[in-house]
Amino acid sequence: MSWIPFKIGQPKKQIIPKTVERDFEREYGKLQQLEEQTKRLQKDMKKSTDADLAMSKSAVKISLDLLSNPLCEQDQDFLDMVTALDTAMKRMDAFNQEKVNQIQKTVIEPLKKFGSVFPSLNMAVKRREQALQDYRRLQAKVEKYEEKEKTGPVLAKLHQAREELRPVREDFEAKNKQLLDEMPRFYGSRLDYFQPSFESLIRAQVVYYSEMHKIFGDLTQQLDQPGHSDEQRERENEAKLSELRALSIVADD
Amino acid sequence: MEPRQTPGKENMGSKRKNLTFLRPRLYMLERRKTDTVVDSSVSGDHSGTLRRSQSDRTEYNQKLQEKMTPQTERSSAETPTPEEEQQMGRMMAKRAKIIRELIQTERDYVTDLELCVREVVQPLRNKQVDRLDVDGLFSNIESVHQISAQLLSLLEEATTDVEPAVQVIGEVFLQIKGPLEDIYKVYCYHHDEAHSVLESYEKEEDLRQHLSQCIQSLKNIYMQEGKPNLLDMGSLMIKPIQRVMKYPLLLCELRNSTPPSHPDYRALEEAFTAVKDINVNINELKRRKDLVLKYKKNDEDESLKDKLSKLNIHSISKKSKRVTNHLKILTRGESQVKDNTFNREEKLFRSLEKTLRLCVKNISSCLQHIEAMPFTLQSVAELREISYRDGEENCGEPQSHASNPCQDFVARSQKLILTPLSALLSLFPGPQKLIQKRYDKLLDYNSSLPRSAADESDLAKREYEALNAQLVEELQAFNQAARKILLNCLRSFVTLLRDLMLMALEAYSTVKPVLLPVLSIAEIQNRVLEEVQNLNFVKDNSSTFIERKLSFEKKKPAQILPEVPHQTDDHRSKLLSTYGAEEIYRAKRKCNATQEHDINLLEGELVAVLEQKDPLGSTSRWFVDTGFVKGYVYSSFLKPYNPAKEQKADAENRFCDDDFENLSLFVSCRPAGDSVTGTPEGSISDSSSSLSGTCGKFETNGADADNFQEVDEQIFYAVHAFQARSDHELSLQEYQRVHILRFCDLSGNKEWWLAEAQGQQGYVPANYLGKMTYA
Repeated sequence: MSWIPFKIGQPKKQIIPKTVERDFEREYGKLQQLEEQTKRLQKDMKKSTDADLAMSKSAVKISLDLLSNPLCEQDQDFLDMVTALDTAMKRMDAFNQEKVNQIQKTVIEPLKKFGSVFPSLNMAVKRREQALQDYRRLQAKVEKYEEKEKTGPVLAKLHQAREELRPVREDFEAKNKQLLDEMPRFYGSRLDYFQPSFESLIRAQVVYYSEMHKIFGDLTQQLDQPGHSDEQRERENEAKLSELRALSIVADD
Repeated sequence: MEPRQTPGKENMGSKRKNLTFLRPRLYMLERRKTDTVVDSSVSGDHSGTLRRSQSDRTEYNQKLQEKMTPQTERSSAETPTPEEEQQMGRMMAKRAKIIRELIQTERDYVTDLELCVREVVQPLRNKQVDRLDVDGLFSNIESVHQISAQLLSLLEEATTDVEPAVQVIGEVFLQIKGPLEDIYKVYCYHHDEAHSVLESYEKEEDLRQHLSQCIQSLKNIYMQEGKPNLLDMGSLMIKPIQRVMKYPLLLCELRNSTPPSHPDYRALEEAFTAVKDINVNINELKRRKDLVLKYKKNDEDESLKDKLSKLNIHSISKKSKRVTNHLKILTRGESQVKDNTFNREEKLFRSLEKTLRLCVKNISSCLQHIEAMPFTLQSVAELREISYRDGEENCGEPQSHASNPCQDFVARSQKLILTPLSALLSLFPGPQKLIQKRYDKLLDYNSSLPRSAADESDLAKREYEALNAQLVEELQAFNQAARKILLNCLRSFVTLLRDLMLMALEAYSTVKPVLLPVLSIAEIQNRVLEEVQNLNFVKDNSSTFIERKLSFEKKKPAQILPEVPHQTDDHRSKLLSTYGAEEIYRAKRKCNATQEHDINLLEGELVAVLEQKDPLGSTSRWFVDTGFVKGYVYSSFLKPYNPAKEQKADAENRFCDDDFENLSLFVSCRPAGDSVTGTPEGSISDSSSSLSGTCGKFETNGADADNFQEVDEQIFYAVHAFQARSDHELSLQEYQRVHILRFCDLSGNKEWWLAEAQGQQGYVPANYLGKMTYA
């Protein structure tokens, strides 16, 4: 091994063809990216399903708290409204649960399984890297002797070095070939693998949201006086609030 | 004196229609109302002289007069004697004067109001100055003006062209008393605040500028009319209050100067009480408000010090009385003053408060979670990125409008739901405090009831009642409004949720996937995964560490196995014949190759040392020839081969030693070799047996064919004659056969060998000797 800095790059180029190295880097880069993506996706999916569940749970809590309030005993209109709201919220929760279950089954678990392949890949790549380093080291040794004067001991050492080099090189080449062959196949398999998950996810969401839209649409019609827009309600609230502020019992600040 | 009320009444009836717009309403709500100035129905006697001070003076005189002489007038009114007739005439004259006075002052008042509205209120309103709250200053002064104008016109109608004997003034007041009370209530209610507002405005230069401008123009008008006495903003604002307080006085006077037989007498009586009630009500209202304000302000902005300073004996006794009283009520079920309306409203109020609090809490937590929902869309986008080929754009862009619906939703919810609800919630503490105070007052009242110490009880009662009335009245309004807001917010929430769901749905529908049944998804994925698992790198590397180690160990012997050919007798004899005896060494122990070009040796195998160093110059590794392969061996494994010495050594001893050595070696090496390499047992045992065979034959020192080559190795002949120079050396004749016992001397010098010839031993120089050949 040469320790002179500007010579360092040289043996590398000689050992493996640039194109091979480039191909390898490209394929492995893609897979590394894929690994990164699946990891992130797994995390995000977890986060989003958690958020979904928490959202519907908190929505149910809104209506439950309303329903348990003594206000309902005194006010039939209010009771009706809150009951309707509660029903809707509970249905939302149920649908949400179902959706999350399905996503869990069709997206998150497959993601996990797929992700479990990557450690093997990384291990294989590491092995290859080790083999490559051994190969480089021995190659450098051989080259060193080749450059030297061909005296007896040198020749002996050269021979020895060559003998050492051969199996290492074969090992590396086998590993390299295997990886170059298999990495694209692995990368390609993600298409067939994830498309169903993707479709399932979309469908779960579409089903869920269309159901939700229907539920809340019905609820809106049931609760709302026709023709009341948000703006009207807002204005009304404002008016009521200023009425309240004008009351002497209300502390004005 | 015939009763001719009818025309007046009709007129009044028609006027009353004009008053319908003054329907009683919640006076509180009128505060911000901008009253439009309806054209005054007064047939404008604008140029009417302003004789305010004058009229005031006369009023005052009349009042005094009345106070001095009520009894006489009363009694005199009873009998219609000529004296009384005369008296009656006097009274009627006085009455006419009072009526004139009333109308005149009313007219002045209306004019004042009109001027005020025209010169001050309107310009201020038109200026639209920020921070200048005209409504706050003048509240409903326009309404006040209207009602006064109304009153004036009614009064004029009732008096003009009507015989004094049938003029009915009381009726006018009775008719108008409802609106009158409402309007003045509003005005008086807000006057205190207006006053403080005015004071704050006076402190600000630019605002004072605006005010003084208006005042100045008003002043000018007064100056023109010869009435220089002025007049600041405060005196303008207090005018309606002064006026409404004057009505009872005027009516009282009027009644007193009205003969009981006069048709107006009864009406005046009623009108007087009505107007007095109005004043009382207004007072009560103000008092209630003051009370409320007092208790509301009580605990706010109060440091501990203030609290301590307030802790005097009175308050302590009050508090302890309340506590004992409360206990009394709890334990003995002492009758308590109850107000069911209040209780109902209070309950409603409290549950509303709780509902609101929970709602705000829950909705905001819900919003937080909803804010996290874009994650889903984000992950969808990520998954899509993974599951489609680079650059493949066969589906829409869900993330382009992904984050918007949720953010939009949250923002709108904040605006439409949380903001009003929180604002509403912030209004609750005030009433809560008052309710608490009301209970305190109720306890005071209760405790004072049995003893009925008139004064104290009255005070407690009045305080309690004022608070209670105010609370009942306003809590109802409060509860209704709060409920309305709550319902509105819930509706908005539902609507917003619906919209959100629709948007989310749309976001997803842009992505159109091919639909597959769920089961087949798992199947497809399992298949793909299986393929992946079959890839070599997965298979090679996915197994656990231990498995890998095992396989690693298995592999290595497999490589070594073919490389272990063993020295045969042929090789040995070849070695012995080609190399000098001093070059021949024997393996002391089994020696395994550790490096490239090392060779394996079994114990006892012979090698010829070609070079006593390796290519790197290290003398610990020697380059040796085993007869069939050349390679390197560590010198420590080798010992010189010396058949003569072995021969000479004591037979048993030697045997034992060697054997022992062999045994120990075999014990240590063989089992390892067996278990690890699994080499065929035969080859090793063969060689070892043959070796031990050769050893045995050396000892017998026989020259039979078997050990021929071993012995042969040590037979040399003297190339030159050598004369021994000492006892240690051995003299040689030319061509004399010698048996070399050791190929070095005691110090390891290879130049001198230990030789034996004709029973004598000694050292000879190695270069004098030559290998025996049978050629």
